[in-house]
Amino acid sequence: MSWIVEPRDPRTQSEGVVAGYAHTARRWPSQPLVVRPHDTGELSGPAKLERRLPPSKADLAGRGANRALGQLIHLRARVVDEDGAPVPGALVEIWHCNSAGKYLHPNDASDSPPDPNFHGNARLIAGDGGLVELRTIKPAAYAVPDTDGWWRPPHVHFSVWGRVWLSRLVTQMFFPGDPLNDHDAILNAVRDPEARARCIARLAPTTRGPANALVYEYQLVVRGRKAAPRMP
Amino acid sequence: MTRLAPTAEMTLGPFFPREFAQGANDLTVVAGKRAEGEVIEITGRVTELDGKPLDNVVVEIWQADAKGRHDNPDFFGWGRAATDAKGVYSFKTIRPGPVQGRAPHINFLILYSGLMRQLQTTMFFERVSDPVLDLVKHRDRLVAKKLSSQSFSFDLRLRGDDETPFFDD
Repeated sequence: MSWIVEPRDPRTQSEGVVAGYAHTARRWPSQPLVVRPHDTGELSGPAKLERRLPPSKADLAGRGANRALGQLIHLRARVVDEDGAPVPGALVEIWHCNSAGKYLHPNDASDSPPDPNFHGNARLIAGDGGLVELRTIKPAAYAVPDTDGWWRPPHVHFSVWGRVWLSRLVTQMFFPGDPLNDHDAILNAVRDPEARARCIARLAPTTRGPANALVYEYQLVVRGRKAAPRMP
Repeated sequence: MTRLAPTAEMTLGPFFPREFAQGANDLTVVAGKRAEGEVIEITGRVTELDGKPLDNVVVEIWQADAKGRHDNPDFFGWGRAATDAKGVYSFKTIRPGPVQGRAPHINFLILYSGLMRQLQTTMFFERVSDPVLDLVKHRDRLVAKKLSSQSFSFDLRLRGDDETPFFDD
């Protein structure tokens, strides 16, 4: 199967230096990015990535005495390509902070408390419909240090592999109705309002998920579509 | 046919789980099998403006096998490393062979806090004619320094003096 990956649309993809996000001015290249042709190295990718990155359990919330604090949620995310075709076997990494806004990471210097029952990351393999499901708790908002009142809205990080090397997608999912969504420097760096709206999960009727969990549905579209068959 | 817009990429953030980045920077063995070819080590420092080293930067690579193939089931050409507090990453891999029409090279992808999306670049072993390397103004910056016959250094300067050239894919 051969694939085509077209240039990014600057309305739906952000880049460069972003107002209010100081690190971007120290890290994004000052020189223009060089456009290059794509060949096998860009349009192929690792098969069965789980040989290198083993999957984990699809539950971060735990049960009974080991239950993490916070609102129980169930994430149902579907990985599709630009044709809308599911990507079964796609590897998906998910991580987020706890219900007090603390990451289980040595670089998180905030004084919010860790939760001994919350281990904040999972690695999953998409099933036949491109679907990954994770039982977890809702992350909290947190203030970004050394900024003038920037609060990150509750969000979940995703790292996804698609069809080929250039399909790699790292993004963040937001929750519907949170007033902080309108002020977040990262979400609002995406210029197109519809593209931003697609980064916000949809709350599904709770009868569709595990007990006592709010169900959020989400779609992850990885770059790449099928190349048209060559005319003989 | 409908075409969906790819999801907006967003920054990796500063808290990419340490354990996700571990155990994936040795490409010489997969599923207990030793890959064919010349074993090499690649190390480098990732820095921002003013040459400050960056901690916990995620560096991913994708390369051909010793014969220039991307579809060898016995060589897994993908790896991942994260920088330490000194900004240093390292990979152990097989020296790639030439892919048709291209000089031997390794594709690099960089993910980090403050990068709104991934950055792509390519490491070459020698300054030779190559359809991609020839597009770049500062070609020397994409050619790895040879430290010994098995050891190469490839620094990634995201911004500032001697900035690494990056590709817009």
